[in-house]
Amino acid sequence: MTIFHFFNCAILTFGPHAVYYSATPLSEYDTIGTSVKTAVVYLVTALVKLVCLATFLKVSESDSFDPYQELLKALIGFVDVAGLYFALTRLTHRNISQNHKFQAVGLGWAFADSVLHRLAPLWVGARGLEFTWDYILQGLEANANLVLSISLAALGSLMWLRKNKPKTLIPIIYTCAGIVATMPSITSYLKLSLGWQLPKVVGFELFTSLVMAFISWQLFAACQKPSN
Amino acid sequence: MAKLQKSQQQRSVFVEPVYSSAVALLIVLLACVELGDAVTVVDVYRLVQYDLGGVPLGSRLAALNHHAGSSLFSSSAGVVADLSRTVLILPVRELNLTFIREYIGQSKPLGGLLLLLPPIFSPEHTDSGGGVDDDSAKVLLKEVLVEVERLLIHANIPYPVYFGFEDEHINAMLADIKKNDASGQPATATTGGYKLVVAAPQPRKIVSPTIVNIQGWLPGLKADGDSNQLPTIAIVASYDTFGAAPALSVGSDSNGSGVVALLEIARLFSILYSNPKTRGRYNLLFLLTSGGPYNYNGTQKWLHSVDQRLRETIDYAICLNSIGSSSNELWLHVSKPPDNAYIKQMFEDFSSVSEELGLKVGLKHKKINISNSRVAWEHEQFSRVRVTAATLSELSVAPEFLESTGGLSDNRNFVNEASISRSVKLVAESLARQIYGQQGKNIEIFADDSSLSVNPSYMRSWLEFLSTTPRVAPFLAKNDPLIMALKKELADHTVEVNVQQEPLDGMFTFYDSTSGKLHIYQVASVTFDLLLLLLLGSYLITLFSFLVIITRGLDDLISLFRRPTSRKVKTP
Repeated sequence: MTIFHFFNCAILTFGPHAVYYSATPLSEYDTIGTSVKTAVVYLVTALVKLVCLATFLKVSESDSFDPYQELLKALIGFVDVAGLYFALTRLTHRNISQNHKFQAVGLGWAFADSVLHRLAPLWVGARGLEFTWDYILQGLEANANLVLSISLAALGSLMWLRKNKPKTLIPIIYTCAGIVATMPSITSYLKLSLGWQLPKVVGFELFTSLVMAFISWQLFAACQKPSN
Repeated sequence: MAKLQKSQQQRSVFVEPVYSSAVALLIVLLACVELGDAVTVVDVYRLVQYDLGGVPLGSRLAALNHHAGSSLFSSSAGVVADLSRTVLILPVRELNLTFIREYIGQSKPLGGLLLLLPPIFSPEHTDSGGGVDDDSAKVLLKEVLVEVERLLIHANIPYPVYFGFEDEHINAMLADIKKNDASGQPATATTGGYKLVVAAPQPRKIVSPTIVNIQGWLPGLKADGDSNQLPTIAIVASYDTFGAAPALSVGSDSNGSGVVALLEIARLFSILYSNPKTRGRYNLLFLLTSGGPYNYNGTQKWLHSVDQRLRETIDYAICLNSIGSSSNELWLHVSKPPDNAYIKQMFEDFSSVSEELGLKVGLKHKKINISNSRVAWEHEQFSRVRVTAATLSELSVAPEFLESTGGLSDNRNFVNEASISRSVKLVAESLARQIYGQQGKNIEIFADDSSLSVNPSYMRSWLEFLSTTPRVAPFLAKNDPLIMALKKELADHTVEVNVQQEPLDGMFTFYDSTSGKLHIYQVASVTFDLLLLLLLGSYLITLFSFLVIITRGLDDLISLFRRPTSRKVKTP
C-alpha cells in the first residue's frame, strides 16, 4: 500500500516530464540529446551553487527571513541563469528549430531539478506506513517547476538567441525573466517571513507558474510575428 | 495566425473545466483523510506470559500490527463485529467489567488489547502518597484493576495484551477513533484510520530462572563458659512480586513495605548489638526471600538447605507481609494452635506493645493442609519443618494464589509510610522486650527523639527505591542491581551476609518480552490511493491531450487514435 503511494507520488513528480516529451513534437525531432546535455549542465550548476552557498552563507539559528542572507542566496541563484545561458547558447545542438530548443532545454533542466531535489525524499519517506500530504505537495511543486523552467528557457532564448526583437517588448522580457529567476527567493520569503504553510506556497507557485507561462507564451508569439 | 488564435481559444476552453474538476476532486480527497500527524511512540508493557504445570496462561503473543478500534466499535448497531483484526483500546477508567469478562471468558477472537491506565498508576508518577484525596474514586479504580488482573492472569489469551498510560497523544487518538467508530465506519484496510504496531520478536522461555535469598546474621552475646548455642529469632520478608504486567509490578505494599520494615528493624538492632553491653542473648537472623508468589518457594528452599542445627535453634520466626495500608488493624496469622507456648508469648508481647501504639492486633489461626501444595502464608513453610512462625499482615484472610502479590494497583500512592513506621515499632519493641527480658515492664526502647528512634526518611528512601523497581523473580538476574543493593544494605547492618541462589520451582515457566514501544501510525486507505491514481492518470492524459492539441493541432490527437485505419488508406 505504501509502495502504491510512492508510485502515485512518483508519477505525479516525474510523469509530466515524460508526457511533455512525448506529447509535443520534441519526440518527433528526437531532442533527447539536448535534454540530457542540459541535465548535465544543471548538475554542474547545482554543484557550483552548493560550493558558493557553503562558502558565503552563514548558518542561521532562527527560522526568520534575513534580508542579507536572502539577497546572497538570490545572487547565487543567478548562477542558475548563467547555467541556462550556457545550455542554450554554448552547447552544440543538432539542427533543431529555436522553438524546440528552448523546450528541450527547459524540460531537461526541470527533470534534473526534480530528480536531484525530490527523488531521494520520496524514496525514503513515501514508503513508510504513516500518511502525510507532503509528497503529493512536492509533486505539485515539481509540476510548477516544470512550467517555470520552460518559461524561463523561453525568455532566455528570446533574450540571447533572437536578434530582432520589437523594442517595446525588451524591458518586459527582462522583467519577466527576472521574476522567474528569483522565484526561489520569493517562495522562501513567503514561507519564512509571512509564515505560509506548504499547501498555500505550492498553490501560489502553481498559480504564478501558469501566469508566467502565459505571459512568456504571449511574448514568444509576439516576437515571432516579424518572422512570419 | 488564424491557427494561433484558434488554438488560444481552444486552450481557454479546456483550462476551466480541468481546473474546476481538479479542485473538486481535491476537496473530496481532503474530506476522506485528515491531515496526518507525525508518528507517535509510546512505552507499553506486556501482559505476563507463563506456563503453570504445562498449562499456557497469559498473553501468548507479543508482536502487534493491526488497526485500532475503541469500545464503541464492537457495540455499533448492535451487530457483533469481527474484531479479529482490530486492537481494542480500552481505558480502565471507563471499563465495562461484564464486557471484559465476556470477551476473555468466552475466548472471543481479538487482534489485540491495549488497556490504558490513569497516570496515577505509573511508577514514575510522584504524587503525595497516602491516598488522601478523592479516595472513593481511587478505591473503585483499584478494585476494577484487581478484578481485570485476576481475569487476565488466569486466562489463556491467544493475542497480545498491553498496558499503557494515558497521555494527551493517546487520548486525542482515542477520541478520534471513537468519533469514527460512532459514525459506524469500521476502521479496516479500506477506510483508513490508525494502525498500532509493536515490533517484538517471538517471546522465548526464560531458561533456568533463579530465586535469590539474602540472609543477614547478627550474633548474640555468648556468656563466657557457656557452650550451649544461643537461641535465634528470625525476621523474614519476601521481596519479589508478581503482577499482570511484570514491567510494572513494583509491589509497594506487597511486599515493599515488608522489606522496608525488615531493613529498618535490622538497622535498629545493629545499633543495639554493636555495643557488647547492649547485645542481647539471642541471635538475630534477617532473611529476604524470593519466590514469594510461587507458594513461598524461596523460603522452602532456604529451610531445606540451611544447617539442621541452626534450624533447631530458631525459637520463632516473624514473617512480614503487607503492612503499609492506612488501617489501624493488623493480624497475626499462625498455623500452630493459639495455646502453644511460643505463640502465646509472641501474641502477648504484640498486644501489649500495640495497645501503647494505638494499634489493634488480632490473632488468626489457619491449619495447614500438608497434602495441599498451596502455601498461603510464609510462616506455613516454617511450620511444615516444625519451626514456630507467624505472619504479621494487614490482610485478614489468606490471599488466593497469585493475588496480593504486588500487581498493577499496588504502587507508591497507596502506601502509608506512617503505618509502616508503626508496624516497625511494634515488631521491634516486642522483640526487644523478649530479647532483653523486659516483658510487662513499662519501657520504651525505641522511643521517638532518641538515638534508637524509627527513621522515617530511611524508610521513605527505600520505599521509593522499591516502588520504582519491578521485582518479578524470573526476570531478575543473579547479580541484579536490586539484589546487590539489598545484600549491601544487610551487610551494613549485620555481621555476616549469605546469598543463596536456587532454581525456581519447575512448575513455573516464564517468557520474556515484558515491554515494548508502540508505534501509532495514521494511515490512508486503499480507496484513497486508488482515487489518487485515478486522478493522476486523468491529469496526465489531460495534459498529454492538451499539449498535443496545442503543439500539433487537434487533428493530430484524433489521428493518434485512428492510426490503424490510416495505414489502410495509404496503400494505393
